[in-house]
This record gives sequence, structure tokens and C-alpha cells, in this order.
Amino acid sequence: MGRQAVRRRPGRLVGLVAAAALAVAGSAGCAAEQKAAGTGGSGGTAGVTDTTIKVGGVLTKTSASGYSTKDAEIGAKARFQRANDAGGVHGRKIEFVGAEDDGQDAAKGDAAAKKLVQKDGVFALVPVHGPNFGGAVFLEQQGVPWFGWATGPQWCGTKTGFGYNGCLAPKPGAGSQTWWGNQMAELLGGSEGKTVYVQTTDSSGSKYGGKTISQSFEAAGFKIVGINSGLPAAAPPPDWLPYVNKIMTSDGGKAPDVVVSIIAGTKFNVGLYSALKKAGYEGVLSDATSYDAAILKDPATAQALEGVIAAPMFEPFESTAPEIAQLKADVEKVAPGTVPTQHLAIGYWSADIFLKVLEQTGKDLTRERFLAAANGSFSYENAGFGRIQYPKDHSEPNGCGALVKLEGGAFKVAKSMKCFENVPLK
Amino acid sequence: MSEFVGYIISGLVTGAVFAVMASGLTLSYAATGVFNFAHGAIGFLSALLFFELTVGLGVPAWPAGVVAVLVFAPLLGYVLHRAMFRGLAQAGETAQIVGTIGLTIALPALGLWIVDLIAEPFGLPRADATSLPRGLGPYPAVNVTLGGVRLDSDQIITFVFALLAAAGLWAFMRHTPYGLRMRASVDRRRLATLRGIDADASSALAWTLSSTLAGLAGVLAVPTLGLDSTAFTVMLFVSATAAVFGRLRSIPVTFAAGLGLGVVQNLVAGYADFAEDVTGLRTAVPVILLFAGLVVLNRSRDRVAGSAAEDAPPPDYLADLPLWRRRLPWAVSLVALLVWTFTRPADDFYVGVVAQGLVLALIFCSFVVVTGIGGMVNLAQASFASMAALTCGWAFSSGLPFPVAILLGVLGATAVGVLVALPALRLGGRILTLATLALALLADQVLFQIDAFSNGTIGWPLPALGLGFADTTDPRVRVVLLLALIGLVGLLVRNLERSASGRAILAVRSAPAAATTSGVSAPRTKILLFALASGIAGLGGVLFAISKGSVTATDLPAFAGFVWLAVVVLQGVRRIGGAVLGGLIAAIFPELLATWHVSAHVGAILFGTGGMILARHPDGVLAQMAEGRYRRRRRRLERTKAAAIQAEAAPAVRAAAASGPDHPGEPAVPESDALFRLENVVAGYGDVTVLRGVDLSVRPGEVVALLGANGAGKSTTCAVAAGDLPVTAGRVLLDGADVTAWPAHRRAREGVLLAPEGRGVFPSLTVEENLRTWLTDPGPVYERLPQLARRRGIAAGALSGGEQQLLTLAPALVRPPRVLIADEPSLGLAPLVVAEIFEVFAELRERGVALLLVEEKATAALELADRVAFMRLGRVTWSGPRAEVDDTRLTAAYLGVS
Repeated sequence: MGRQAVRRRPGRLVGLVAAAALAVAGSAGCAAEQKAAGTGGSGGTAGVTDTTIKVGGVLTKTSASGYSTKDAEIGAKARFQRANDAGGVHGRKIEFVGAEDDGQDAAKGDAAAKKLVQKDGVFALVPVHGPNFGGAVFLEQQGVPWFGWATGPQWCGTKTGFGYNGCLAPKPGAGSQTWWGNQMAELLGGSEGKTVYVQTTDSSGSKYGGKTISQSFEAAGFKIVGINSGLPAAAPPPDWLPYVNKIMTSDGGKAPDVVVSIIAGTKFNVGLYSALKKAGYEGVLSDATSYDAAILKDPATAQALEGVIAAPMFEPFESTAPEIAQLKADVEKVAPGTVPTQHLAIGYWSADIFLKVLEQTGKDLTRERFLAAANGSFSYENAGFGRIQYPKDHSEPNGCGALVKLEGGAFKVAKSMKCFENVPLK
Repeated sequence: MSEFVGYIISGLVTGAVFAVMASGLTLSYAATGVFNFAHGAIGFLSALLFFELTVGLGVPAWPAGVVAVLVFAPLLGYVLHRAMFRGLAQAGETAQIVGTIGLTIALPALGLWIVDLIAEPFGLPRADATSLPRGLGPYPAVNVTLGGVRLDSDQIITFVFALLAAAGLWAFMRHTPYGLRMRASVDRRRLATLRGIDADASSALAWTLSSTLAGLAGVLAVPTLGLDSTAFTVMLFVSATAAVFGRLRSIPVTFAAGLGLGVVQNLVAGYADFAEDVTGLRTAVPVILLFAGLVVLNRSRDRVAGSAAEDAPPPDYLADLPLWRRRLPWAVSLVALLVWTFTRPADDFYVGVVAQGLVLALIFCSFVVVTGIGGMVNLAQASFASMAALTCGWAFSSGLPFPVAILLGVLGATAVGVLVALPALRLGGRILTLATLALALLADQVLFQIDAFSNGTIGWPLPALGLGFADTTDPRVRVVLLLALIGLVGLLVRNLERSASGRAILAVRSAPAAATTSGVSAPRTKILLFALASGIAGLGGVLFAISKGSVTATDLPAFAGFVWLAVVVLQGVRRIGGAVLGGLIAAIFPELLATWHVSAHVGAILFGTGGMILARHPDGVLAQMAEGRYRRRRRRLERTKAAAIQAEAAPAVRAAAASGPDHPGEPAVPESDALFRLENVVAGYGDVTVLRGVDLSVRPGEVVALLGANGAGKSTTCAVAAGDLPVTAGRVLLDGADVTAWPAHRRAREGVLLAPEGRGVFPSLTVEENLRTWLTDPGPVYERLPQLARRRGIAAGALSGGEQQLLTLAPALVRPPRVLIADEPSLGLAPLVVAEIFEVFAELRERGVALLLVEEKATAALELADRVAFMRLGRVTWSGPRAEVDDTRLTAAYLGVS
């Protein structure tokens, strides 16, 4: 009897679970469109008064890995301050409420976006700069514009997400950048017969980067002799020997002419470059993240990175362009003594483009009118970031970039900002 | 030199750091039974201190290394032992796992927060996880070519220190009294305290040592890992693999496995290009090895069919309150929440936060099922939720109707839950927890990296859930829907607990072997639990995605499961109420911190410190509140009860004594004579009072035989006498001094030695080592008992019963205690051996030892005894000289006829 009872009851339980699941599914009935919850009367003029426009950002200020984009806040603040000092845009000053921290956590980014829109009532999100930003769907639903660095696919194909240099994660078939390869070819005096090895980490994001960048070098005429994605993504490997051995023999037993590292994180690059140099590598090293004045403070890091050619997507701070002098002056005004960084530049130029769209929207400002102005064949050129065109650059990068070389412990402009034609991504 | 040999040599060198870390992990686990998930965090803190000392304050590397590894790390280990581990060792497995996971979250946050606070005023650099700071060696590192392999100075230093640490650890454990005491405490903790070994001090030492090893590993690893707490946690998992291959017992095997892991990683990186297409597979190699090691090597032996954690369900402290009173707080809160929700606008931010909290609460309900009811700690819950959400998104994007997609998502999670349950059938406790962790990491690193399944980093968009009259874009609708679902889950859980399945689960949880023999299928029960829990987590995951409007593979990372578990268990994992409270706290608390502009580190510290609270109150905050009230209600009651028992006992004893013709109305022994004395002692276990006012005394050079039937309270008397069991009322006196409050090891050191029931030997120590726990030089024992001399190198567990009993008593011959309490010394021994044992007692009496001999079989004891005391129902009913004991008295004592 008892045994039977024990056996029978789980069946009933499973039935109950199934019933509960069905109840949920049944009550759900149909999928409803994710739409703006309650228009709340604010309409498209939320955050806008006759004299102010309220704006806030979402950044990865802190993260478990230590990656931080917090300098973008200073950049945006500096640019907004200049606009305000000049009397604002159409008589409205920018009220910058600062940036929330998403901790590199998609869910936190979503919550931060909701907080800025629903609680703080901002008009737009500037700057948005976090590798795992999770508020994209919400902002697109609500029709809230957001400006920043579009490194992830959540930016691409939206109507509200404005990457300051376009969408950097184009879908296959859409345009993909060729500037890195082309700038490198110009720097090295031609790509003829030169070989390139691309090193990424073992994650889908890094592998995707490897694909676009090897295509960029291929388009510029280089020969790709290896794309390796074996590096563990979470932490640098304790031993670089196997990775370095592969690189050193990739060009038919010889070392390649160029090694491109698609790894976010100075410590990966320092580890890789030190190990390569230890093994006797004498070719060119290039990556997207090493252009950072802070790393020069440490002698060993500077030594490991000596000779590296970094590829920033904005005009280097060492440039003589007047726009850069202006940037430095603006930053000096709001945060004296700040050493400009990549993230600072991204915040600055994102704010700059946002202000440009505001200006073109005109005096009568709603989110709808703002988006219409931005997405109606908007085009803006600036030596700081090249040029930007919406809606085209919602789905592909703007195709511009510069090269900087670390020489004798100091960065030098190797190639100034220049734009190249995109090619379709395979 | 070939590439292959190069990989092996270089791998051995780099594996050294895993070996050091893993040795510390094995050491603390073997010595205290607590698997320290925070071992990596301790390494991180030491590395952080090292960094601040060298870079911030300009201290040279070697002195800084000494401070970080030899001063700070041991101190941290000791402080953690005092604050937390000591309590955890006595707590259940769930509390142990969650407590140390809490530390993993809290310690790095604490360190980083302190650095943030003091960075400005002291001009220290903030911790920068993105760069590689210096190590102990020259900076930048110097390259050396050794036998054809290029190594840098940091690698060589790491390897040398690892070897030194291993050799030092081995020498310490094998050749010092501290090591012996530690091993004795591990072997039989209770017996060790009876031998005067302070088991607490031994664990303190173990934690100090293990923490030092963690600190060493941290300082050695920092030049390759950087100051990145996640990287240190990852390193801990890799090291855990080595520890698992050492079966969490053997330090040498652990060490070798650590070196081997370095080699395996090199070989995989060098030759496993075929795995290129499966993103994450090569990264996941240590995790795969961890899982394989757990399943193959660590099948739990003592718990048949891999039962669950060994924590008994706590008493229901509210059982004496009426039903309406128990439900009232919940009903009031629910109504208040609903009223508040509907007075807010539709796009209210805080309603959204509450809805988010309830989504988490729904996911947390799955912890109630698997951990609260099933007693198994599962760290893969976040992966279940993620799995369901991704499956749902994938199905909907493939064109399936939304309800079908939701159902598929929940079923997908359930299926994965059943898969996870399969190792659970074999494994128990911590091993199961580690296995679920391995699977969760595997899902994160491999399964969710498959682009076709997770749609790359962009994930899947999801529509809102339409209910006809409203849809879930309105957070108020979500709040109501989620409350309804949680209510449904609550009913389900209640039904589960009260049904035959619930009884089956309880049976499997508390006594798997008995459950199996009673026809309860343990595998079926466990699979049911996991399926149910993962189904609930899956439903929560789907709702998480629906309320967010999209789902990506990184929305619910495996590490989120850590924090979740800590939060839920802290609120109380046995009730749905704890899950709801936990969910709301997890969502609302960070918002509050942000509003108050408090560092996010503080939140992590607070969530993590929950672990310390847990060490003291393993059943969580809710139970804690109920327990507090219950204790207040009980305390007075208990005190009066003990007093009543004492008052009742006093006249009874007097009456019994008075009945003896030669001692009318006098205590049995004049107080001044007695060396050791129990005075009106009341004691028991939990709510059961066993000793009801015991008076007993022994003089030097006297044998007192304590006789009585089974269950009279004889062994409890011994336990109270040795300090193994605290008294509720009454006193224990040694030579006139009140020793009632002394712990067992202190009484033993002062000469009160208990030879416990059964065999008082440490089975896995050798005969020689057993003797050394009480003697510095076992030589005289071998002269007196040559049969032990012949077996000195043999593990005590391999001796015969008689030899073991001799070994138990032998040290007393050489270094006689003042009081020897022997509990059933003749149990299960051959008559010849019994005679030999009693010769030992006679010899001890000659030498002035006060002997308390507890025997169920009276004959032999009576031959030796000077005085006799009879016990019945927790009281000494008669005591007097041996001469006055006759058959009538014996019969009366044993049969209860008076």
C-alpha cells in the first residue's frame, strides 16, 4: 500500500506542474507587442523644458574584470559644458545628470536605462558605453535616443542607438571596415607579400572581431596566415608558450610580419607581447586597446608594449588638429589635470554628435522630431572621428580610424584619422 | 628539444601555482571538513596587499611578499576561523557551502572598497585589474633558458616556492606535534578533545596554514593573472580540479595533479585545434576535468546512493502559534504590496523594480525545492533560468507560437535539470555542489556560446505576454501575475511536503539506506526534485526575459547563481517566504545603495557577510526571528524545569541514601575527600532531559563502579564528567575547583581522562602516533606492553578489538591521569582480554588514580570496585561500599524493583 502511494503521487505532482505550466501558457494566450508602458502624458518631450534638456549616460564604471569606461563621463561633461557656455542649443542648456554604472552586467544596464528614463526622466542617454549594455530593447521600445560606442550587435539595426562611429558589429552582408588594414598598408609602405596573424580569445564576441579584422587586412592586400581563437576568455593563460609557438611558425615555419591581437585587456596584450618578444619576435604588433597613457606609467608594461601600433577610432590626442586642441581645452576646464583616454574621447565625440543632431532638429524639440532629424540622411564630418551618416551607420561602421605607435615610451601619431570604403562582411 | 617536451616542462613549471593553491584547499578541507570556495578570494586579497605595498608604498618586493604571505594571509585565516569557519564546522553542509561562497563575494569587494577609501588620502594606486603588476622576482622579468626551454624569472620563482611549500607542509604534518594533533582532530574530532587536544586550536592552525598557502599562490600568480578577482576565482576552480583528483584528502596527490593541470592546459592549447569550431570548449577543459574527476573519483562512500546534505530539518518554532497568527504577517504584506502597486502609475520605476524582484523570487523558489526540501545545494540554477529563456527566445524566433515557446523553454530547463540530477544520484553534499558548479560553468562557456542557440551576443527579442485585458509591459500586471505564480508554486511546495512524495524525499534526505530498503526509490525522488526545481527556475527565467523584452547568453551568468544562493539561504531556504523576501531584497537593495550613492562594493560586502551570520544561524533570517521569540518563550520555562528537577532529586537521593543501614541520612562521601565530583547534575540532549540530578564522587586510589540498565544515563554521565556535554544545572568539581565551564580538552589536560565507549583510538593514525597524542615518548609503553611495540607502525584501525582497547588505556599507564573514566571498557572483548584490561585498572588504582568504571555487565566491575553506584532513569538510586552490594540490590538496580 505504502509503496503504491509513494509511487502514485509523483505522477499527480507532475500533473500539477504540467497544469500550472499550461495555466501560464493558456492565460498568456497570445504574444503582445512590447510597447511603451503607459505614455504617462510626458509624450516625446520628457526631459525637455524651455531652458534645459536633461541627459544621462550608462557606462561600465566598474566590472569584475576591472575594465572601466568611466572616463567617458568626463568627456561628455566637457563637451556639454562648452555647449552650455556657448548659450546651449536653441536656448536650452544641457542638464547632464551623470552616468549610471552597469557593472558590465546586461541586466544592470537594463535597470540603469529604465531608471534614467522612468525615474530621472531624461530626454536621451549620452554617453552609453559598456560592452554588455542591456538596455537596448527598452530604449528602442520607448523611442529614447542613445549615443555612445556601438561595439555590440544590440546597437545595430536600431532607430534609436547612435554609435559615434557607426555600428561596429555589422551583420554578414553589411559593410565592414577596411581602414585598419589600409592604414597599416600605408604605414608599412604596401601590403605586398606581407603576412598577418590574428589572435583572439575563445568567445563568440572575440571570434567575430577576428573575422572582421582579418577581412580588413585581406581587403588591404595582406595575406592572413592564421586566425587563432584558443586563448581562454576569462583570464590570461598561465603559460603563453603554446600560443607563441603557433605564431612563430605560422608563416610556413617563420614568424608573420604582423600580429594583430583582438583581445580586450592590457594584461592579455602585455602577456602575449612579452612572450612573443621573449621568443624573439621582431615584427609588427597591433591592437585596438593599447592606446592608453595610463599604461605608460608602469615600466614593464611600457617595455612590453614598446613598438606596438595601436588603432584608435578617433583622432589621437598627439594630433595637431584644432579639434583635438579644443577637446583638450574643454577637458581641462571641467577636470583640470585629466590625462585624456580612449573612453574620454568616446564620451566627448558621442556628446558632440548628439549636440549636432539637437541643433539640426530645431527649436521645437520632441523625441520623435529628434529621431526624424537624426535618421533623415544626417551627415556630419569632423576631424575628431572622421564622418558619420545616419541611418547608414546604424548598420555599419563609419570606416574611419587612425594609427598610433608607441616609441621610446611615448605615443606618436603614425597615421591620422582617415576614412576608407567598407566591404560587405562575409 | 621537441615542442612536445617543451610544453610538458613549461606546463609543470606553470602548474606549480595551481598545486600550491590546491594543496591549501585540500588541507583546510581535510582538517576541518569545510570546502572553502573563498580560497581564491584570500589569494586575491594577499595579492592586493602585495600590490599596494610594492607599487603604492614602494616597499621592495621581498619584504612586501613576506608581509603579504607570512603575516597578512595567516592572520586573515585566523580571523576568518574565529569569525566564521569555527561556527561553520558545526553547521550543516548547506550553510558551509553558502557561507564560503558568501566570502568569495565579500572578501574581494571588501579589499577593493578599502583601497578605494584610502587611495585618495594616502596617494595609493587603485587596483587595476587590466594590467599585470610585478611579482616577487625582478621587474621586468628576466629570461633564462633551462635545458632548451625558455623560462622567465617569475616562473622559476613560482616553481621553487611551490616545491618549498610542498616539502614544508609534508614535514609539518608528519613530523611535528601540531601536525599530529591536526591529523588526530581530523580523524576523530571528539576523541581528540578527550585526549586534551584543542580541536578548535587545530582547526585554527589549519585555516592559518591554508590561508598562507592561498596567499602564497596569490602573490605568485599576480604577475600572470593581474589583480582580477574573477581570474582568481577561475584559478580556484582549476585548483579545485586538482584537489578533487587528490580526493580532497591527499596533499601529495593534489600537488601532483596541480602540476599535471599545467601540462594538460599547455597540451590542449598546443594540439587541440580540432576543437576550434566549438567556441569555449578549450577554455572549459579544466571544468570538464573537474566534472569527470568528481563523478569518477569522488563517489561518496559513507553515504549510500549519494544522499543529500547532512543537516536535519530545524524544529518549527512557530508550531505553537495559531494558524492565523502564522499567516498574518504575510497576508498583511501582500495586501500592502498590492494596494501600493495599484496606486502607482503604469511606467513607475519602483513598481518595475518590485516586479523584477518578484521574477527573482520565482527563480529563487527553485532553491526552496532543491535545497530547502531536498537538502542538495545546486549552483546551476542561473543556468537553468538562462537555458529556459534562451530556448524560449530561440523557439519564438523560429516562428513557433509564443505559448508553445514558453512551454518549450520550461521543458528545456526541466530536461537539463534531469540531466544534472544524474550525477546527483551518485554524489552527495559538497561534491554534488561542485558538480553542479562545473555543469553551470560548462553551460556558460560552451553551450551558451553556440551562436545558433544564443544568437551570438545580441540574443533573442521576446514579446510581452498578453493576458487579454492587459499585458506584461505594464509592471503592475507583472507584479500581479508573478504573485499568482509564486502562490501557485507555494501551493505546489506545500503539497509536495505533505504528500507521500514529500515523505519519500524526507526519507531519502535523512536516511537513504533505510529509504531504499523501505521501497522508496532514491533516484526517482532526486530526479523529481531536480526536474521540479529546474522547471520553476525555467519559468522564472522565461519571465525574466519577457519582462526585459530580450534575452542574451550573458543576462544570467553562472556566477549570479552564487549571489542568489547566498541571498536566499540568508532569508531561509526552507520556506517560499524566504525566497520572496530574498528576491525582493536582491532587486531593491542595489537600487537603494545607488540612490544613497553608496559604493556597489558595500552591497557585495553585505550580501557576502550574510555568510558569517549563516555560520551562526544556519536556517536564515526568517527562522532566526521565529527562533528568537521561541527561545525567549522557552528559556524561562527551561530554567524553572531544571530547578524543579534538582529540587525533586535532592530529597529522593537523600531518601535513597537513608535507606542504607550504615549511612543514615549522610552523603555517600564526605566532600573534602572526593577528588572528582558531580553535584546534582541535570543534563540532556535538546528537549530531552537524561540526567535528572546526579550526585557522584570518586576519591584518589578508589574504583567506583557505576552500574545500571541500558538507558539509565551512564554514558551521558561520562560525557558530562569529561566535558563532552554541557550541563543544564548542577556542578562538576575537580579537587574542589568548579570545572563545570571547562571544555573537554582543558579537563583532559588537567587529568580527567575519558576512555569512551567503543574504541578510543584514532583509526587512521599508526599505533605510535596514537600514543604520541598523549605521550611525548611512547618508549615505556612498549616495554610494558610488548604486543603494541610489534605493531607500532600499523594503523590503529587495523588492530584487533583487544589491542585497540589496550592502546586506548596504555598511555594512562605511563602518564597516569588523576581521574580515569572508562565507559564500557569490556564491551565486545574476549574474557581473557577483559582480564588483562582490568589488571590495568588495578594497577592504576595502586598508583592513586581515581577510577570511575561504567559497566552494563556487573560481575567483573564488582570484583574490582571499592564502591558501587546504581543508576536508574537518570538518577543515582543507591551508592555505597562494595561489601553492601548483594543480589537483592543488584536485582533491584537492574529491574527497577525497590
